[in-house]
Amino acid sequence: MTAIFKREIRSYFNSPIGYVCVAILMALYGLFYFMVMARGSSVYISSYVYGSMFNFSMLVIPVITMKSMTDDQKNKTDQILLTAPVGVTSIVLGKFLACFFVFFIASTLGLLPAMAMNFFATPSWGEIIGNYLGTLLYGGAMISIGVFISSLTISQIIAAIGTFAVSVFLMYVDSLAASINNAAVAAVVSWVSFSNRYSTFTQGLFSIASTVFFLSVMAIFVFLTARRLESRRWS
Amino acid sequence: MVEVRNLTKRYGANLAVDHVSFSIEEGSIVGFLGPNGAGKSTTMNIITGYLSATEGSVTVSGKNTLDDPNEVKRMIGYLPEQPPLYLDMTVKEYLNFVYELKKAEQPRKEHIEEICRLVKIDNVYNRLVGNLSKGYKQRVGIAQALIGNPPVLILDEPTVGLDPKQIIEIRTLIKNLGRNHTVILSSHILPEVQAVCERIIVINNGKLVADGATDTLAHDLSQDHRLIMCAEGPEREILHAIEAMEHVMDVYSLGEKEQGAYEFSVESAPDIDIRRDLFALMARNGWPILALRNTDLTLEDLFLQLTSTDASSDTGDGKGED
Repeated sequence: MTAIFKREIRSYFNSPIGYVCVAILMALYGLFYFMVMARGSSVYISSYVYGSMFNFSMLVIPVITMKSMTDDQKNKTDQILLTAPVGVTSIVLGKFLACFFVFFIASTLGLLPAMAMNFFATPSWGEIIGNYLGTLLYGGAMISIGVFISSLTISQIIAAIGTFAVSVFLMYVDSLAASINNAAVAAVVSWVSFSNRYSTFTQGLFSIASTVFFLSVMAIFVFLTARRLESRRWS
Repeated sequence: MVEVRNLTKRYGANLAVDHVSFSIEEGSIVGFLGPNGAGKSTTMNIITGYLSATEGSVTVSGKNTLDDPNEVKRMIGYLPEQPPLYLDMTVKEYLNFVYELKKAEQPRKEHIEEICRLVKIDNVYNRLVGNLSKGYKQRVGIAQALIGNPPVLILDEPTVGLDPKQIIEIRTLIKNLGRNHTVILSSHILPEVQAVCERIIVINNGKLVADGATDTLAHDLSQDHRLIMCAEGPEREILHAIEAMEHVMDVYSLGEKEQGAYEFSVESAPDIDIRRDLFALMARNGWPILALRNTDLTLEDLFLQLTSTDASSDTGDGKGED
């Protein structure tokens, strides 16, 4: 698993993809912090910075995950992975963690403006840390979905578009829930909403239920990707 | 060492490998022959654990691929048809990655350097794999299979894309590896198989059609036993004399090949060697034999004979060569 993780990280930063994703997210963090400052109050950090970044992260994640499983199939390098003495779950975990690591770097560097502010004032760290943790959790969940989708196809483009479609759906699923008449269906639909789960973190609260929810999503999709990889041997 | 029993692989209605069984002893070099789509690569992919069999079992050194997949994979070095190379890494990074992936236990630096020397890629050690020529990529692929020093090597067309000099080098390398490894290699190049392998397994349409030692397989499978003789003397008289010999089924002249020398085709009854009697007869009559050879099938003939017999009746090619 470590071998695969290290190789994937290296491949992200051997090509522009890793740098571009990190740079885009950092630039957006910077921009939104700047706009918050222009409004003159750090009260807006949570809603303005992280509220916007939630959407933008959802857009960048498909780019990070799109090549995770597709490239191996296309270049036939899956033959070396699957004939090496490592299990399929380790292969998928290595890839998932590599994608997550890229996102982790971007999100962590996104704290830089808050740290800079810390020299001149006291931003509300509780809220910022809460948002940061929430970002990592929903990001991880979204990445696991992206890795799974990329294992379904050998085309990076299809993987990216598929993941993008799912993330757009997850972004707007609660507005969809609001328009459903049947209370039971509405409850189910809003239960899968990522933004509802995420919003508890934006208030600086650490929600165990939401944490478990996101971690379960990651576990389920890593598991599904491993099964998908395994199933190709039988097709 | 490698035991394959009743291996079957089905792709939907298509039977790619059909109840193939063979076993390979430790330290032997076995050649896998067969036309495109015969099921060679599929069989190799199943042995290495990349694909799973629909039916049948593979055991390597007593360990089953289904029960101890990781143990079996650790014992096999595999070079697939298309070398599984990451083009964005240097040779050094790639081999180090494979070393970690295979959890090799040899001292890392020495082990990798030794393999690079062996397959002669030490001069491209720091170059990007993607920038290497086909021949070098193939050699990096072979290097990758050797990492961890696995006792079984499975090489799918190892000399594809190499220049003649490299081909000879790689053949010599495989022969040397065969001293302390079990090697299974597939190839389309028959002289290569003949030069390298001790044993040949021929697969056609997913079925095993021949299995035997390289030297005797052709002879054993030859259906007719004819001698071609070139002798000096009167054509007609020689023909009559040979016709009168015991065990001779058929004889005819192939015409004058040199001044006063004729070539004859002599067919004997199966399993009877008439060369000595023929020599005595010719010597008695004072007709010197200038050349005498038998017409056992060459490996090419054999290959064509084995693989074309049912090709016309059965159009369903096995998948597997992609």
